[in-house]
Amino acid sequence: METRLESKDATDLALFVKVSRGDIVEWDRQRIVESLIHETGLDRETAEKISLEVRDIVEDSGIKKYLTGPLIRELVNTQLIRHGLIDTRTDYTRLGVPIFDVHEMVVQHNKENANVPHGPEATNLSLAESIKKQYALLKVFPSEIAAGHERGDFHLHDLGMIDRPYCSGNSLEYIKKFGLNLPNALSISKPPKHPEVLLLHLIKFSAALQGSFAGAIGWDAVNLFFAPFLKGVDDKRMEQIAQMLVFEFAQQAVARGGQSIFSDLNIYWEIPKHFEGVPAIGPGGEFTGNNYEDYLPEAQRFATALFNVYKGGDGMGRPFFFPKPQLHITERLFKTEGYEEFLNLAAEVSSRMGNTYYVMDRGETAKISECCRLSFKLEEQDFEDAKTPWKMRYSAMQNATLNLPRVAYQANGDDEELFDIISERMKLMAQAHEYKRRFITRLLSMGNQGPLGLLAMTKDGEPYYRLHRATFLFGMVGLNEMVQYHTGEEMHQSREAFKFGLRTIAYMNKESERLGEEMGMRFVLEQTPAESTAYRMAKLDLAHFGDKAASVMKGSIELGEMYYTNSTYLNVRERINPIERVKKEGMFHPMIHAGSLTHIWLGEARPDPASIANFVIKTFKKTLNDQICFSPEFTSCLDCGKTVRGLA
Amino acid sequence: MDVKGFMETSLVDWDGRIASLVFTPGCNLRCPYCYNHELVYEPGSYDNVPKESIFSFLDEHSDFIDGVVIVGGEPTVHSDLPDFCRALKERGMMVKLDTNGTRFGVLKALINENLVDYVAMDVKAPLEPEKYSRVAGVDMNGNLDGIVRSIELLKASGVDYEFRTTYVPTLMEPEDIEDIARELRGAKRYVLQKYAPLNIRVEELRGVAPPTDEEMDALVERARRYVEDVKWRGK
Repeated sequence: METRLESKDATDLALFVKVSRGDIVEWDRQRIVESLIHETGLDRETAEKISLEVRDIVEDSGIKKYLTGPLIRELVNTQLIRHGLIDTRTDYTRLGVPIFDVHEMVVQHNKENANVPHGPEATNLSLAESIKKQYALLKVFPSEIAAGHERGDFHLHDLGMIDRPYCSGNSLEYIKKFGLNLPNALSISKPPKHPEVLLLHLIKFSAALQGSFAGAIGWDAVNLFFAPFLKGVDDKRMEQIAQMLVFEFAQQAVARGGQSIFSDLNIYWEIPKHFEGVPAIGPGGEFTGNNYEDYLPEAQRFATALFNVYKGGDGMGRPFFFPKPQLHITERLFKTEGYEEFLNLAAEVSSRMGNTYYVMDRGETAKISECCRLSFKLEEQDFEDAKTPWKMRYSAMQNATLNLPRVAYQANGDDEELFDIISERMKLMAQAHEYKRRFITRLLSMGNQGPLGLLAMTKDGEPYYRLHRATFLFGMVGLNEMVQYHTGEEMHQSREAFKFGLRTIAYMNKESERLGEEMGMRFVLEQTPAESTAYRMAKLDLAHFGDKAASVMKGSIELGEMYYTNSTYLNVRERINPIERVKKEGMFHPMIHAGSLTHIWLGEARPDPASIANFVIKTFKKTLNDQICFSPEFTSCLDCGKTVRGLA
Repeated sequence: MDVKGFMETSLVDWDGRIASLVFTPGCNLRCPYCYNHELVYEPGSYDNVPKESIFSFLDEHSDFIDGVVIVGGEPTVHSDLPDFCRALKERGMMVKLDTNGTRFGVLKALINENLVDYVAMDVKAPLEPEKYSRVAGVDMNGNLDGIVRSIELLKASGVDYEFRTTYVPTLMEPEDIEDIARELRGAKRYVLQKYAPLNIRVEELRGVAPPTDEEMDALVERARRYVEDVKWRGK
C-alpha cells in the first residue's frame, strides 16, 4: 500500500473538481491536506496520509472527469472514521440536506399539513433551519446535551433558529420615543407624528423583530400607548385604525418563511397601576405634559374598536389567528366604569370567534403575555422600569421541554428514582440554557454590525435586548401520561393521581429555582405550546419503550396519530366539565411562572356573551387559573374559503 | 319526579348564567320537531339519575353554578316538581323552568311560592286551536285556556321570563311569527329558535333545511313591531 502511494504521488490525478465556492479547478491533493489542518487542527502527517488514501479511492473509482468538493469531503470523512478520528470527522462535517429531500420540499406540495406553508420563502426557511439545527447540535451544544435532545429525553425548541433568542415582550414606547432605525435599512424614520404612522412602524418593527427572535412578539398595553395619538380622532377613523392594525398584523404571513408574525396585543380596560402617573409620550416622541391616566377615554375607545374588528373577522368572516388579543382581568378592571359592557364585547368575540385570551392578574401582580401561554410577572425592578416604559422589554432566550412519560417508564414505579431522573434531566436542560446564553451573548457582543444588530442597538443607553432580564424556560410534556404510568390512573381519575401530578410540578418548580440560583440564571416553568413536540416524543417513546409507552399513549397508534397530553393538562379527550377543568388545571398555574392556559371548548354552541363574561369573572375570583380562552370549533374550506361552526 | 338526564355545565341555556340542566321524562304534547322525543316516547329507556349525585355536584360547584334549568319533556306534568325546586332553592340555586305553559295551575303555584327565577315558555303557534294542534302534535280540543292564562300570568307576575317559538319551515309561515308576536304584545322578551334537523322523530321533517341566519333576522324584525326585546338563537 505504502509503495503504491509513493509511486503515484509524483503524477497527480488528471481530474477536475467542482468546488463549493463556484469554480472548477484541477485536482490538487494538497487542498485536502490544508483544509483538514485548517478546519480540524489535524496534524500534517495524518492529513497527508488521509489525502493519499482518498486519492487512491478516487483513482480506483474510475471517475473520468469531474469530482465535486462535497464528494471528496464524504470520502475524507470515511477515511477519518476508519482511522477512529471521530471528533475530527465531526469538525469536518458538511451540513446539508439530501437532494431527494430538497426535491420533495421544493416541488411536492404537502397539502395535508395546513401548518406548513409552501412558497419559495417557506422552503428557504425550512432548508436554512435544517442546517442551523445540525449546526446547533454539533457545534453549540456538547454531545451529551445534543444526544438528550435527539433521543427525546427532552426537546430543545427552535434549534433551527439557534442564533436568535426565543421570544420577546416589547413596548410601543420605544418606537414612539426613538422612531424606526433598523439595521440594513437605507433610511431612518423619526418618531411618528400620526397614529397611522405609529401603526406602520409597529408592524415593520414587529417584522424586524421576527427576524431576530424565533417565536412570539408581544406588545404591552397597546391600546393605552396608542391613546395619546388618538386624541380627537373620531369614531370612523378610530375604527379604521383598529382595522388596519389587526389586518396588517394578520396579513404579515408574507414575511419570514411565509409565517405570520406570532404577535400578541395586550389590552387593558383600566389604567394599570404601574402606568399611573407615568408621563405620556405623544406625537414626535415628545412628552405631552399629561400622564397616561389622562388618556383613558381614548385607550378605552381604541380597545373597543379593536374588539369590534375581532368580532367581525376577516374579509370572509373568519377569525384572525394573529395578533392575539390578551385582555387583562384585574381587580382594577372591576372598579373601572363601563367594564361590564366592554367585557361583554370581549366575551361576544369569544363566543363568535374565540380570539380573546383572558389573562388573570390577581392581587398586585401584573403580567405581560407574549405568546399563547407565555407571560412574565413583573418584578420590583420592572415596576421601576414602568416609569420609563420604553425600557420594558423582556425575553425568554430558550425553551427546553422535558419528556415526562419517559421518566416514568425509566423509574419503574419508584418515586425516588422518578424524581432523581427529573433532576438529572433538568440539570442537562439547564446546561443547554447556559450554552445558548453563551452563544447569544457572543453574537450580541459583536454589536450593531453583528448578526443580532437589531437587538444590540442602544438608543436608550442599553442594548435593546436586555440580557440581564432574559429568562430560560423549562416546559413539560405529558404530565398526565407520566402520572398514569406511575400511579395507574390519569389525573382526572383520582385525587391521588392528581396530587401526584401537583407534587411533580412543585418538584420541577423547586428544581428550576435551585438550578437558577446555582447558575445565576432566571429559570422558570412554562406550559410549552408543544403539539408537535408531544407527537415527536410519543413517536420516539413508542419506538424505544414499546408496550410501556403504548399503554398510556393517547390518539391512534394504528393511524400514526399518537400524542402525549400537552404540559400539565388533563386528558383533552375526556369530557371533563369546564368548571372542574378550570379549577383543577388552575391549581398548577401558580407554580408555572412563565404562564399557563386552560382551553374551554365550546363546540358548536354559541353561548350568550354574558354567560361567558360570568364564567371569566368567576374564574378570576374563585380559582387560581392564570389564563383561559374559549375555543369554538371551526371548519374552513380551503377551496371556497367558507367557514362554518362545528367540525365538518 | 324522575330525572333522566343531567348536564353539569351549560353556558347556552340561561342567558348570562352558568347553569346545570335537569331533564325530566314525559310530556303532554307531541311536537313533531321535538329534539328530546326519546324522553317523551320512551322515558323508560333511560336510567334515573340519582338526585343525590346532582345535589352533590351542585354543592361542590356552587361557587360557579348560578342555577339549574329544568327541561323536559314537560316538567310541569310532575306533581312533585315544586318539591324538587324547593330542594334546589334550599341549596341556594336559582331555578329556570322550560315549559309549554299548558299547566297553568302548576306554573302559578311555582311562581306564588317563589320557586322559579326564570320561566321560558313556548308559544308554539298562533293562538288558534287548529293551528296549535298541528304544531303541537295533539288535539287541543279547541281550548288554549291554559296557555293563554300562563301568558297573562307571566306578563303580570314579576318573575323574569321569555316567550319563545321554534321556527320550523314547512310547519309554519313567517306570518305566524308576526301573529304570535302580536298576541304577545307588551311581553318583556320574545326569542325565536332556529329549527335544527337533528334527532327528529318525524320523517317528513328530517329533510327540512333549517332557516338561514338572514331569514331569522327578518323574522326578528317582524316580531319587533310588537315586542321590544326580540332575538333569535341557534347555530
